[in-house]
Formats: sequence, structure tokens, C-alpha cells
Amino acid sequence: MTDTIETPSAPTKSRFSKFWDSDFAWSFRHSPVAMIASLVVLILVLSAIFAPLIAPYNPFDPASLNLMNGFTPPGTPNAFTQDTFLLGTDDQGRDVFSTILYGMRISLFVGVSAVLLAMIIGIVLGLAAAYFGGWIETLIMRVADVQLTFPAILVAMLIFGIAKGVTPPEYRNEMAIYVLIIAIALSDWVQFARVVRGAALVEKNKEYVQAARLIGRGSFPIMFRHILPNVLSPVLVIATISLALAIIAEATLSFLGVGAPPTQPSLGTLIRIGQGFLFSGEWWILFFPACTLLALALSVNLLGDWLRDALNPKLR
Amino acid sequence: MFAYIVRRMLQSVIVLLVVGLVAFSMFRFVGDPIDNMLGQERTQADIDRLRTELGLDQPIPVQYYKFLKEAVQGNFGVSYRQGRPVSTIIAERAPATLELAFVSGFLAITMGIALGVFTAIRRQGVAANIIMTVSLIGVSLPTFLIGILLIYIFSVELDLLPSFGRGETVMIGNWSTGFLTTSGLKALILPAITLGLYQMTLIMRLVRSEMLEVLRADYVRFARARGLSDRVINFRHALKNTMVPVITITGLQLGSIIAFAIITETVFQWPGVGLLFINAIQFVDIPVMAAYLMLISVMFVTINLIVDLLYYAIDPRLRVDARAT
Amino acid sequence: MILRNSAIGIAMLATTSVQAADFKWASTTDPQTMDPHAVNSAPVLGFLNNVYEGLVRRDKDMSVQPALAVSWEPIGEGDGWRFKLREGVTFHDGSTFDAQDVLFSYQRASGEAADTRSWFAPVSEVIVVDDYTVDIMTTAPNPLFPSSIANWMIMDQGWTEANDAAVPDKEAGNFATINANGTGAFKVTEREPGLKTVLEPHEGWWGDVEHNITRAEFNPIQNPATAVAALLSGDVDMINPVPIQDVARLQEDGDVEVIQGIEARVIMLGFDHEAETLKYTDDAGKPNPFRDPRVRKAVAQAVNVDAILATIMRGNAEAASQLVSPAMSGYSSAHAERPAFDVEAAKALLAEAGYADGFSFGLKCPNDRYLNDEAVCQAVVSMLAQIGITAELDAMPVRNYWPELREDNYDMYLLGWSPGTFDAEHPVRFLVATPNEEKKLGSWNFGGFSNARVDELLPAIQSELDQTKRQAMLDEVTQIIQDEQVYVPMYVQPLVWGTRSNIELTQRPDNFFLLRWVTVN
Repeated sequence: MTDTIETPSAPTKSRFSKFWDSDFAWSFRHSPVAMIASLVVLILVLSAIFAPLIAPYNPFDPASLNLMNGFTPPGTPNAFTQDTFLLGTDDQGRDVFSTILYGMRISLFVGVSAVLLAMIIGIVLGLAAAYFGGWIETLIMRVADVQLTFPAILVAMLIFGIAKGVTPPEYRNEMAIYVLIIAIALSDWVQFARVVRGAALVEKNKEYVQAARLIGRGSFPIMFRHILPNVLSPVLVIATISLALAIIAEATLSFLGVGAPPTQPSLGTLIRIGQGFLFSGEWWILFFPACTLLALALSVNLLGDWLRDALNPKLR
Repeated sequence: MFAYIVRRMLQSVIVLLVVGLVAFSMFRFVGDPIDNMLGQERTQADIDRLRTELGLDQPIPVQYYKFLKEAVQGNFGVSYRQGRPVSTIIAERAPATLELAFVSGFLAITMGIALGVFTAIRRQGVAANIIMTVSLIGVSLPTFLIGILLIYIFSVELDLLPSFGRGETVMIGNWSTGFLTTSGLKALILPAITLGLYQMTLIMRLVRSEMLEVLRADYVRFARARGLSDRVINFRHALKNTMVPVITITGLQLGSIIAFAIITETVFQWPGVGLLFINAIQFVDIPVMAAYLMLISVMFVTINLIVDLLYYAIDPRLRVDARAT
Repeated sequence: MILRNSAIGIAMLATTSVQAADFKWASTTDPQTMDPHAVNSAPVLGFLNNVYEGLVRRDKDMSVQPALAVSWEPIGEGDGWRFKLREGVTFHDGSTFDAQDVLFSYQRASGEAADTRSWFAPVSEVIVVDDYTVDIMTTAPNPLFPSSIANWMIMDQGWTEANDAAVPDKEAGNFATINANGTGAFKVTEREPGLKTVLEPHEGWWGDVEHNITRAEFNPIQNPATAVAALLSGDVDMINPVPIQDVARLQEDGDVEVIQGIEARVIMLGFDHEAETLKYTDDAGKPNPFRDPRVRKAVAQAVNVDAILATIMRGNAEAASQLVSPAMSGYSSAHAERPAFDVEAAKALLAEAGYADGFSFGLKCPNDRYLNDEAVCQAVVSMLAQIGITAELDAMPVRNYWPELREDNYDMYLLGWSPGTFDAEHPVRFLVATPNEEKKLGSWNFGGFSNARVDELLPAIQSELDQTKRQAMLDEVTQIIQDEQVYVPMYVQPLVWGTRSNIELTQRPDNFFLLRWVTVN
């Protein structure tokens, strides 16, 4: 997360970004919620990245699992094997703690990649629509309509179905995660495109763009150099909120049976599996993954919230 | 203006046709309806025969053309699973979804606006900050989990509310309503909360940020300077001006109500079109899937069209833009 | 077909029903039709057994007993069977049952449009001898015929023809799709497909009323957690099935009881016997190790069935040694041993077959078909990893699963099989016999296993009247299947129903739930 916040400010030292940098930092220092949220996100992201070093087991290695360890409660020795697990084990005898760390990697990877992809598609199409106008704009915005017509989850389900059908069978398991990314991204790009197009339409007629055009700069450099930095802050806010949404969308898709494979579960898959044990007393299989997802999504949402206020000049 | 409307409507029709074609080419990947329709003792000959009977052996454009030809006459075919006309089934199921969507939408709008105004006025207050944070929990967990947790707490542990279904319904003409019986109303509570929570949070945050902007606008400052009371400023001026974006966004959000209704209905066994659609996917009931997607598309394209036309009517700046498109 | 005054029926009810009782139950799937000949599937037939009846029916212990026929006897030397019909039976609409209805139902259920027509493959002709006698002629001696038609339900010719439903129409549906008129103990009074079905007692039913239900309502509930919640909160009186993991919790609850039994369904692993090469993972294209019986044996020895039963099935299932459970007729008690769990022996077998370094392959698995199917497959993956072979698991909904198996897109797969005839011949015919489209053999033998001796024995088993000789042949087939390790049978899937504690009912091994055995206290 911290990466995405800093990158856009670095390359372009426009008036806007200088102003933005200082004020931004001040706002951050004075918001305990933002500081706590980013700390939580930082901890979770780091533990996901370094999962192989932190996790006591590798839950994705089937050879390391012992089914007889299944359903061990947290911190209590298993009746058959006497092994103890910090947060207990699930139905396969997988250490819940390790599985959460590995699962979070997948959730974060899917979420971040999906949002980045959606952002790229949305920005490019949005800018193109605004800049070129005419039939290009009509085409792009009508495609966006089609996209909005299908509720996001539906879009994802359809893409998942199609991708499963067209991928050669031997690659299907590896494909599942990339398909998820594309599915979530394709259901999400429209809002980026709309915001970028809206903002760009306003900027398009401003003097500096007209001036740039007069001195003979090509179309695309103008768009990227001049319009893009000005629409970045709303894009950033949407991206943050979208990240939380994408992580949850992955969980929802998993509930509908189109998620990550069960042998390499994401947080969402873990929750889907865990909810089956809600009534049976093995609360830890659901509780810990759900708490992790909540902590992750909530912190990202809170950051997004704070960003929205901090980046909105009208609120100062 | 007229030319714009006509062009816009033509585009909408094209959008619908494309949606339909995409939907039809995807059905093949959802699964094969044949196995569900034939029992354990089926032979390859049975499979081939049924496939021909259903027209599934024909190319997708042909299947699509046949569907369209029937659909424009209001005939959406017969459900593979139920053996009844799809239009009848959807007409039976629609009231459940519409009532649920209505109640959760109503909850979301009233609660969302009330809490949004409150958190905007008391921007720095402790209560407002708590509401802002807690409301985020609702959007930080997947809907299905919230639904299951609500069932666990309110029907299993506390035994206060029913765990599934619509309760007793009363038929008014062709419309089955759950509004007129106690069990029907009780059955609405949990699904409506599950479905409305996300929208409520969204509306609340939208109202709050719009309010905050308006409260800083010059004319509100003038009003304050003129000595108008806070109440008048907050409600007559500020809130009124936030309503336009709120209504627009809420209208566009109808989409996610319908999408999330699929999940809510699955969790609560709510007998609406969302559950019908999920069942149709499980059974690869192509006529039901096709009709559902087409209806949803028509609904959305219409909403989009209305929103665009309203914008066009309201915002003169867009007329210049519209001429370009 | 003569309309009878139904006042007598109403008078009878007044004396038999002790106390009025409402009963609600839920299951995961809604019967997709009310037409007993349109769809041959367990949810439909199980539900309709409450509404329609056959010539014979199965009792609580699955034994065959008279229903619409009072007695039956073979004709000649296995030329067919003569059924004496019950007199004084009325359909729900009041019309009388007689031999014409049997002939009509035969024509309807064996016609091109009927899903049940394979049941009548051995039948050459049905002859109405008189109003209450019917001869069913078979092409070959068929000792099991009476028990094979327990689910062949009799419809009223007059009602069916008057409502344009003389031919079942599964695709477009007809009057019989949502309406029913049987002779069974219950009649359908309200039907909203996918939502609810209401049944009420048939006042003129010929049998002894053992239940005290005045109204029964069925609701499908798909999400297992929701169904458990509905039972716990008393919104329904009975659910089928109970998720295995919730059994213990429900047993602890004082208001709820769990009823368990062994179902007929055996869960097994299947292999591709025909393919020259593997199709999945990095080893795709390499020779298919599963063609070697030693490798299949190694798999059988590597799977720790007891661990699966102890954890995933929570002690609610029994290990299986062959393709049918001990409760089925023709079960081979001589072959009740299953290969011992032995990792070292399995590794040795692999080494002997030339796979000491292991290999990797694709395992296909449904995730919504059998109890905890996905979890079982995951466990199999980790158990096979212990002997050095790496399975890549692809779990999918059953709607994608069967097409995948039909197109041979697997190296190994999971399959459950429930013998419709409750006899050991059934899985041999469908799963082991060499696939033959014409003779309708081996239609679920996806892996293409073929053994000349099995193909030779199967017709002999089908027509043998002497039980001892028949069993000897079934034993031989079981021996071949075990020696060749055609499949790896793992366990018999349990039946787990949950009820409120004031309900008494009977759980039949075929997972059929019959309202006429329910008492609400």
C-alpha cells in the first residue's frame, strides 16, 4: 500500500504534487486512525510476503500434512499425534496460522493485481474516451454500459466460466488465480474510466492543455503528462476502496464456487470452508481467517477513507 | 434533443444485443445440462437425442437467434429444470426479490442519510468517528458471512427470527406479498439487513462527504453569516443540495442490490429471482439464465439511459459534449 | 376408472387420525418434477414414493412387499411374471385402480420420452388378463424383476389422458409436471416448484395408517448451514442431510436428534485404464502409470481410509472393500478385506512398477456431489504425496464434472455409486463391464476397463435363478475387480438425517423419506 501512495508523487514535480506532499504528510501525522490502519496493513502485508519465513508449516505442501491432525483446537495437543498448533488446524490437519499467512498472500496478490489491472484499463480507456471523443468515446462508454449492466459478481462468474472452458485442461489449476484477477479487474475498471473521463473532460479545455497542443506536442504525451497527474487523486481513492472490495469479491466468488483451488486456499476460500464448521464447534477454522480478512479490509477501507478526505482540497 | 434520445436508444438496443450474445456464448462453459436431465442409466444415444431436441447441437448464433425471435414475443422458453414457462417462473419469483430489494433499499437510504448527516455535522465527535469505523466493518466482510452470522445469532442462539424463507405470504392478484403477515415481516428482517448493509454504508459516506463539501461552500457561509440557525442550514440548504448525487448513485447502485441479492437469497433460501438464477446455474438451466440476464440488462440499460437523459436535461455543459458523441 | 363416492374415505379418516399434526421438512434439492416417469433421479423418486405407488414397494428394511399387487408368481420357466392386483384402490381424485392403469403406466414409463424406460429393457410384453391380473413377459429369465420395479409408479389412465399428459414431457413439461394423482398415502395439494410442496393424507388410501400427519410441507434449503439453523431453531422438523461435521453438535442439543444409517453409495477412486499417456501436470505426455495394476494397488495401500473416516467423516461412515456395501444382496463376504494401509508396501509396489521416483498426475473431483467430497479428495492428495506421487487436484461442481469425465479429462477421479437395484450386479454392469453402447453396458465405466471373464460372467449372473450359483459368479467377479484393483473403494457414505426430538420416523437405506412412517408426538 505504501508503495502505491508514494509512487505517483515521485516522478512529476508539478505544483500540485509539491503542495500535495507536504499537506498529505501533515494530515497523516494528525490522524491516529490512518496511522493505526497503515500499521496494520503494513504488518499484514509484510507477514504475507515473508510467510515462508514466518509460518511454522507449509500448508501448500500436501506431503507435510497429516490428516490425523485435523480439527486440533488452538493451543491444545491433538488427541492422536500430540502435536500442538497456535491457532489450531482445519479439517485437513493444516496449521490455521500458516494457512492464513499463505492464504493472505494469494488474497493480496489477487486483490492488488486486479486493482492495478482495472486501474490501467480504466485510465487508458477513460483518457482515450475524453481525449479523442467521437466514435471512440461512444464505443468505450457503451462498453462500460455493458459492463455496468452486469453486476460485478456476475461478470466475474461469467469470465471464470469462459476461462475455465478455453484454457487447456493441464493449465487450469495454475490459471485459476489469474482468471480471478482478470475477472475482478474486468468487473471493476468502469469506475476508473468514468472518473478519469469526467476529470479529463474538464481538464481538456483548460489553457495549459490547449497551450501544449499549440506548441505541437502529440496527443498521448499531452494526456499522460498533463491530464493524468490531475486525475490521480480520485483514482487513488477509488483504487484503495477497490482493493478492499476486490479482496472481499474474491471471498464471495469462493462462496459461489469459483475461487482459488482448495489445495492452495486464499483467505476467502478459508472462510468458505470455515463457515461449514460454524455450528459444529470448530470455531477457529472460521474465526481466525475471518478476523484476518476483517483486519485487512477494514484497515484498507479506513486508509481509503482518510485518503478521500485528505486529498479533497474542498475539505480543508 | 430528440436526435440525441433516438441515438442513445439505438445504442442501448445494440448494448442489449451484445449482452445477449456474450451470455449465450458463455452458457456452454457453465456446464452441460444434459447430465442433470438424464438419470444414472442414460446412454450416449439418450444424450445425443436430448441435445438435438433442445437445439444445443446448433451453433451459438443460431441458438441466440431462435431465443431472440421467441423473446420479442414475450416467450422465454421452458425451464429445463421445472418444465414450465420461464416467464411464469420469473413472474412468481419477482415479488420476493422486489420486496426484499425495496425494504433493504429503504433501510439503506433512511439509515444512510440519517447517519451521514449526523457524522457530517459532528465531524470531529467521538460518536461520529465510531459510527464511521463500525460502518466499515459491514463492508469489510463478505455478505455471505454476515448473513450466516446473523442467522447464527438471531435464529439459532436467540431464536427470535426465522432462519430461512419468506414466512407466510398473501396473494394479491398475481403478487405474493410478505408484508401482510407477522411471519412474513419477521422473515424480511435478517435478509434485508444483510442486503442493505453495504448500500447503507455507501450512502452514509456519500451523504457525509457531500454535506462536508456543501457546508464549506460560500453560500452556506453566507447563510451562517446572515444568522440562520444551524438546523435550517443543515437541513434546508446543505442536505437538499447533497440529494442530487445521492439519488444518482443510489439509482446506479440498484445493480449491486440485484447482484448481492443473489448471495443473500442463497444464504437465506429467499425464494426470489436471485436464488432462481443460482439454481439455474447449478442445473445449467439455459432458458432461465438467458431470461434472467436479459431482464437484468434491460433494467440496467434503461436506468443508464434515464440517468444520462436526466443529466442531459439538467446540465447544459453536457449538451456540447453530447453533440460530439 | 369408475368414480366412487369418497364419503367412505372421509369417514375412515375420522376414526384413524388420533391427533392432528403439522410436519415440515427440508432437503437440499427440490424434486424437479411430479411426473414419476419423466426423471429417473433419487430426489424425484424418493419424494414421489409418498404420492404414487408401484405394484410392489420396499419396506423399512428394503425388503419387497406387496403394494398395488397383492401377489406375484413366475410364469413358466422364466417367461415372465403374473401379478394379482389389489382391489378397491382409489386414486387421489377418486377414480378406481385396475389392470388398464398398469398397462397404461407400462406404456408411459417405457416409451421413448420416459426417463425410466431402461427398467423395462427385459420386458417383451404386458398382457391384461382380467381387471385385476396382469402378466409381464420378459425376454430372458429374470429372477430380480419384481424387486427392480419398486419405483415404477402407476398413474391413472383417465386422469393422465384427460389432462394431456399421456406422454411424459421432461423438456417442456405438462400437467403431470406440477400436479399429481397417485394412489399413495399422501396427495399433493400445493406445489410451487423450488419453494414448497404441501402434502395432505389421502383419505381413501388402502393401507393401514401409521402416521398422524394432517399436513406436511417440504421446502428445499440449499445452504447446509441454513438448513442446520432451521432445524435448531425449530423452523423445520426434519432435514436431510445433516452436514457430517454438525452431527456431534446436533446430538448434544436436547431438542434435536440425529438419525444415522449406512447408505448404499460407495465412494471410490477411478483410473484411466485406456489412455497411453498422462494428461496433466509436468508429466503430461509420459506413459500412463495407472495402466499397471501394481500402481493402482499402491494407490489403494497409500490411502488411509481409517484416517478419512475418523476425521473428515467423524466416525460416521464404514470402510468399503468392494463396489457395494454389505447391506446389498450379492455382496461378497469372501472378499470383505480391503488392502491394508501400508506406506512402505505402497512404495515398494511403485518401485517394482518402475516408479520409484514417483510421478505427478491430475485428480478430478466434484465439490457438490457427495458428502465432503472435496475434503476427501484433498486428503487423498496429501496421502498420495507420502508415497511420492503428486496429484494436482481439480475440484468442480457436478455440472462440469460429468462432461469432464465423459471427455476423458482426468488421470484419476472420484466416483460414488449407489446400486439402483440394491444388488451387486448393478455396479458390474455400469462400472466394470466393457463399454458397449448397443448392449447398454459399461456406460459409467469412464476409464474403459475391460476384462473378458467379467463380460462373460455378467449375462450369466443376470439370468441365474439359483442363488448359490449366482453368488459364486459374483464372488469371482469381485475377486477379479480386487485383483486388478479396477477401482479403489474407500467407504460407504453415511446417511445422516436430523429431526426435532418429538418426531419419530424411519430411515430407509436408499435415502428415501416416507411420510407414512412419521409420527409427530
